[in-house]
Amino acid sequence: MNPMVQGILTIVIGVGGCVGYFYFANLILDKFIFPATGPNPGHNINRANQVRPWLFLFPAIFALGLYLVYPVIGSFWRSLFNREGSEFIGMGNYTALWADEQFTTSLFNNMLWVIVVPAGATFFGLLAAQLTDRLKWGNIAKSLIFMPMAISFVGASLIWKFVYANDADIGMINAVRAMLGADTPVDVLQIPFWNNFFLMVILIWIQTGFAMVILSAALRGVPEDTIEAAIIDGANPFQIFFKIKVPQIIGTIVVVWTTITILVLKVFDIVYATTGGNFGTQILPSYMMSYMFRDDGRATAVAFVIMIIVLPVMIWNIAQARKEMR
Amino acid sequence: MKFNPLACAAVLALTSGMAWADGHAALKFAPGEDSAFNWASYEDFAAANDFSGQEMSMTGPWTGADKELVENMLAYFEAATGASVNYSGSDSFEQDIVIASQAGSAPNVGVFPQPGLAADLAARGALAPLGNETADWVRDNYAAGQSWVDLGTYGNESGEDELFGFFYKVDVKSLVWYVPEAFDEAGYDIPESMEDLKALTDQIVADGGTPWCIGLGSGAATGWPATDWVEDMMLRTQAPDVYDQWVANEIPFDDERVLEAIEEYGYFARNDTYVDGGATSVANTDFRDSPGGLFEFPPKCYMHRQASFIPTFFPDGTEVGEDVDFFYFPAYAEKDLGKPVLGAGTLFALTNDSPVARGFIEFLKTPIAHEVWMAQSGFLTPHKGVNTDTYASDTLRALGDVLLGATTFRFDGSDLMPAEIGADAFWKGMVAYTGGEDGASVAKTIQDRWSSIQ
Repeated sequence: MNPMVQGILTIVIGVGGCVGYFYFANLILDKFIFPATGPNPGHNINRANQVRPWLFLFPAIFALGLYLVYPVIGSFWRSLFNREGSEFIGMGNYTALWADEQFTTSLFNNMLWVIVVPAGATFFGLLAAQLTDRLKWGNIAKSLIFMPMAISFVGASLIWKFVYANDADIGMINAVRAMLGADTPVDVLQIPFWNNFFLMVILIWIQTGFAMVILSAALRGVPEDTIEAAIIDGANPFQIFFKIKVPQIIGTIVVVWTTITILVLKVFDIVYATTGGNFGTQILPSYMMSYMFRDDGRATAVAFVIMIIVLPVMIWNIAQARKEMR
Repeated sequence: MKFNPLACAAVLALTSGMAWADGHAALKFAPGEDSAFNWASYEDFAAANDFSGQEMSMTGPWTGADKELVENMLAYFEAATGASVNYSGSDSFEQDIVIASQAGSAPNVGVFPQPGLAADLAARGALAPLGNETADWVRDNYAAGQSWVDLGTYGNESGEDELFGFFYKVDVKSLVWYVPEAFDEAGYDIPESMEDLKALTDQIVADGGTPWCIGLGSGAATGWPATDWVEDMMLRTQAPDVYDQWVANEIPFDDERVLEAIEEYGYFARNDTYVDGGATSVANTDFRDSPGGLFEFPPKCYMHRQASFIPTFFPDGTEVGEDVDFFYFPAYAEKDLGKPVLGAGTLFALTNDSPVARGFIEFLKTPIAHEVWMAQSGFLTPHKGVNTDTYASDTLRALGDVLLGATTFRFDGSDLMPAEIGADAFWKGMVAYTGGEDGASVAKTIQDRWSSIQ
């Protein structure tokens, strides 16, 4: 079948199925199970209203249960078994992880990522949002900063690999160094410890646009009169920014920060595509990849560690977002 | 307009003629034209097999220039049987094929660069056996047939040995590439022994040149060229049975004999004056870009140790045999280990059984399937029934001679080790070692990982 027709058909069946489910489930509930006729219609209407939310929630709960809750439990269960999945070894995979130097390196690097990337992206995003706020060409600048968001992580990694190339004819960093008189190019991806930061720059470059867009909307939402009052009181631009604007958008800043944090904990593409985890740049997700489909017990154990690290950030993020909404 | 049956017939004949011409324009060498090719095997196969309208999917490690070469070969299968083949190449084939087979979306045919990985999948029941008939065929028609059968035979789900892999396209790895003109100009001779090679290396440095280009970069597979170096060194410092024990982990990875081979590799790669760009550039230079230094003027380096497939990545228009040539990566004269040759090959396995995929394996047995790639580049075959005149150059024929002149032939060890070692820990360990880490601690890390999976 023509893929186009196939796609359209899938959409029609999918959307139609959803609408049909709600319409007919509702209809059956009202007309047949608890009809508003017969001996006691009032009681029936009440009972139908009690059932209705569950009826409407059911598809979502079912899908979330099947695709989120089940995999989490299933992964945890799998992480208690050995490589082949045939023998129960309890916490064996977890203790093996702690003994593995690679794991501790990844954990340490991941901590660095979690601290540096959200801070960097939020900082530059806030800066860009504030600076472009009232400029005539601010929107052009914003679109340019936002553009990396549209590039895939692997694409961005390859672009930055050229920037970092160990060759003054290709790599920008080495070209600048050569201009300043350095004789030999350096491979920045091989400088121990600092190479991690060169990789983080890639993600900051991508995520700054995201932070900027959200924060710029929040800045627009700051009431004019508070700013005017501050100006009349003689506040300088820095005071207006730090003491008037930032406190009013702090909730948004936290949400942006935590959202990027969660993203950081899942990104493996950048490390995978640039250094492949070599030169001490391994992070948890890419470390997991080196076990995945070979030793699934170990890989799921790593996945679970990642989940435990993400969990508090996620709960905080949701709590903040809900506070924002109120 | 008056209906004219004759005109209709003429139009029909014209269009069908065009379709015919189209179909054949895709074939690199027109069937029947060059008598060096075994066209009879092509015609016979075409007559016996018809898969019109059927599709076959195939994934493999060949991308870029290699992808074109394999597609040129596949075109003959398509033309002969009417089947259509979708080939997709991936740089991270090793991961992709495992994911696809676990997800139940495996292609019909997988081209494995590593027997270890294929063995893994066979043990999980993800491969379909090729049958005794094919095993007998390989035994009879490939040079050193039994060794190829052994390399393609693995235990299935219930542990019984069966033939799962059909070897097609073999690489010789123990080669050093050089530019004859550069050697002539500087007055260097081809080294006949490892002692000579080391002397030549020092000589080039003394003359102000850089002897070697080494690059380990290969995306997620970064590090593999170094494992080839170590394996070649292993065969040149130890007897073949030590090599076999090492590959099977009967001697630990941090055994001093293994360590000696690693240090022998380090002798070349970790010396700033020996390698182009200094030792730090080795780990991150892409292996495909690395030989480029040979062709610069003045040369960035004089020698490049790499397998027989590498001419595919030489600059366009490079004539192998004239602009660039190779010599056998020599053995130590004093050690009396003969002329060991390290090699590798890709094996075709049925990852999703279907009649057309079986037909394709049958096609790979025909001489023509080998000859059409021999006549292009980067292809060697142990098939005894092919006409070696079809090799595109004397160089390729000479490569075949290296294969034949070997006193010891060993398959690439990292490909035989379990995937976690041969396709991860060994690679990463070698990258770390090249970057300056201590050889003993790298070897211990690899052995620890190996111990943890046993």
